[in-house]
Amino acid sequence: MENKRKYVIPGDVITTAPYRPEQNVILDGNKIISTAIGISEIHDDSIKVIPLTGKYIPKIDDLVIGKIISHTSLSWELDINSCYVGFLPAQDVFGRDFSAHADELSSKLKSGDLVAARIANFDRTRDPLVTIADRDLGKIDSGHLVKISPSKVPRLIGKRGTMIQTIEMATGAAITIGQNGWVVVSCEIPEGLLKAVKAIQMVDENAHVANLTDQVKEMLESKGES
Amino acid sequence: MTSISIIDELKKSQILELLEQGKRVDGRTLDEPRKLIIEINAIPKANGSARVRLGDTEVICGVKIQPDRPFPDMGDKGIFICTAELLPFSHSSVETGPPGPDVVELARVVDRGIRESHMIDLSQLVIQKNKSVVGVFADNVVVDYDGNLFDACAYAATAAILSAKTPKWEMRDDVPTLVEGGESYVPTTTIPVSITMGKIGNYIIVDPNGDEWASMDARITITTDSNGNICALQKGGNGGFTFDDVIKCGEISVKVGSKIREKLKQAKEGSQ
Amino acid sequence: MGGRDTATVLLDENGIRCDGRKVDEPRRIMIKAGVLKNADGSAYIEFGDNKILVGVFGPRDVHPKHMSNTDTGILRVRYHMEPFSVTERKNPAPSRREIEISKVIKEALEPAVMLDKFPRTAVDVYIEVLQADGGTRCAALSAASVALADAGIPMRDMVAACAAGKAADVIILDVNNEEDQAGQADMPIGYMPSLEKITLLQLDGVLTPAEYKKCIETGIHGCKIVYELQKKALTEKYFGNGEK
Repeated sequence: MENKRKYVIPGDVITTAPYRPEQNVILDGNKIISTAIGISEIHDDSIKVIPLTGKYIPKIDDLVIGKIISHTSLSWELDINSCYVGFLPAQDVFGRDFSAHADELSSKLKSGDLVAARIANFDRTRDPLVTIADRDLGKIDSGHLVKISPSKVPRLIGKRGTMIQTIEMATGAAITIGQNGWVVVSCEIPEGLLKAVKAIQMVDENAHVANLTDQVKEMLESKGES
Repeated sequence: MTSISIIDELKKSQILELLEQGKRVDGRTLDEPRKLIIEINAIPKANGSARVRLGDTEVICGVKIQPDRPFPDMGDKGIFICTAELLPFSHSSVETGPPGPDVVELARVVDRGIRESHMIDLSQLVIQKNKSVVGVFADNVVVDYDGNLFDACAYAATAAILSAKTPKWEMRDDVPTLVEGGESYVPTTTIPVSITMGKIGNYIIVDPNGDEWASMDARITITTDSNGNICALQKGGNGGFTFDDVIKCGEISVKVGSKIREKLKQAKEGSQ
Repeated sequence: MGGRDTATVLLDENGIRCDGRKVDEPRRIMIKAGVLKNADGSAYIEFGDNKILVGVFGPRDVHPKHMSNTDTGILRVRYHMEPFSVTERKNPAPSRREIEISKVIKEALEPAVMLDKFPRTAVDVYIEVLQADGGTRCAALSAASVALADAGIPMRDMVAACAAGKAADVIILDVNNEEDQAGQADMPIGYMPSLEKITLLQLDGVLTPAEYKKCIETGIHGCKIVYELQKKALTEKYFGNGEK
């Protein structure tokens, strides 16, 4: 199976051969044109472009890190680093017995709090609905927030999780990656925390480099400041 | 500009934790300003200009000099006007339209710092007394926001004025007319330097960055001149300073200000 | 645009223009992508003595809400000149010229951007002219296109722009400030190179039908030169210096 990859920018004609246009390409006559800055990939009979830039677009079931920015008496609004604001209903936290009169939202979550959440629902007609009602979700009490471009998240995770495991094992850090590009790093050892943050930033800045995994390993193994 | 962003609580508690150990998130000491880069003559067509980077805050100041009518009761002095504007791409929360109170305060504080120090010798900028004088306009535009616009704009305006050249005009047939080859540096008497300090808890920090700015309870901007005298001051934010705080801030502004003054001098010398 | 002053020598007997260029030669152009820290996308352009910065935010929430569109995102463009960007200090308030140019640039970008996947949002393009020297709208449009791509806004094509004109009865490429003041015609053109569509076109001056055709062809040729620099700017930022 051919897997030709090419760097493209918007307007670049990838091919005029009869492939099926998939993500981030359009068909104009017989030209298949990229609509994003990224890497074009040909699979079997289809072409898509993996973008290297752009905001996070919510997908159902994605894990995201969000920041509470406001609330009404019935729900919270979250910044999830997307074009749309996340919407967390009070029942999700207080349960079915929630009463707007009795229960005060800011007692559980207030502006500035960070949460690990999941996208529960999203369609084009309304803002994404999020949930924190799960064991691995909820308010983040400690840790360091690192922001990377959402398009670099797959690179940070790596094939079958190899990149992120490499970083966690070399530093002793626990890392929670939001699909929206926000990453929380916790580490008991200050040097481990610093190295983990540095490794994450390295992936963000060098995602296009071929031997990135080796470069990151090298940096993690080196002693002292660089 | 404490409302420019909602800081996440994790960051705010980290800032306080580190301050208790005498440290800051970016590794600076409490009285250390960020790296300052001054580029003179960034806009060659203007009479003077400077592009300043204070950490990740970036400001460009352009100085335009042209003949103008004097102010009614100041016919023997030239005119100096300093403005400041946040460009809409400097931060996601900036809105277009007329400036709000934060930006108006910024412009007026920067203007006062330079004016009250008598930096520009306005008496030398008269073409014809009571009729025609030289107007010096220093317009600051903020390109990128990361806290402490007061100092960034002040340094940009000061550097732009220090390196600005004014043409010479003469009255001919009752009209100010350009004299070819009569250019000279704008006459200056001193180099004002503003130092802005923020208060977080009980700690005073110099040159707060964006996150520190969003976490602080109050701030104070103090401008000193080349003689080490304090010539302008502004307290802002909804917290308060003790008497000892304010005295300490005065001392810091003289000490840190003199170091920044050296940088401004070097920038001017580098351009000549 | 001023009067037609014939004192400036716009074209000498060797076919050299007042700034040393040949008739089909554009000024020096430099474009850099991703120059601002807070904006979602940005670009800086130097086109001759023009210096222009563009920052893009979006897609993002629309305020006030009544301006949003339930079916598609909207594009908003603001072209603004700094007080120190021109010879005589300009008042910071937006002039009618700036308002018109903002609209014309918006309409030049709309055919390229694809916002139907982002209903109820806006993409804001902020253009700031730091120094002006003739042809700012073309330089601004070219930089805006790069900033939009840098922000990850889906686009059918880039939009590249350049002006052509007439001076001393000759069709010239890329009109500078002096040529704009003293010349006979100025035609800014915005062009999508892959889709081969003109999205910005204005004319100031008098042209015969033959000159009109030649002017457009010359302008499109200039747009293609600008396009290569837009591509270079994005390639440098995203793909480093090597090919994959």
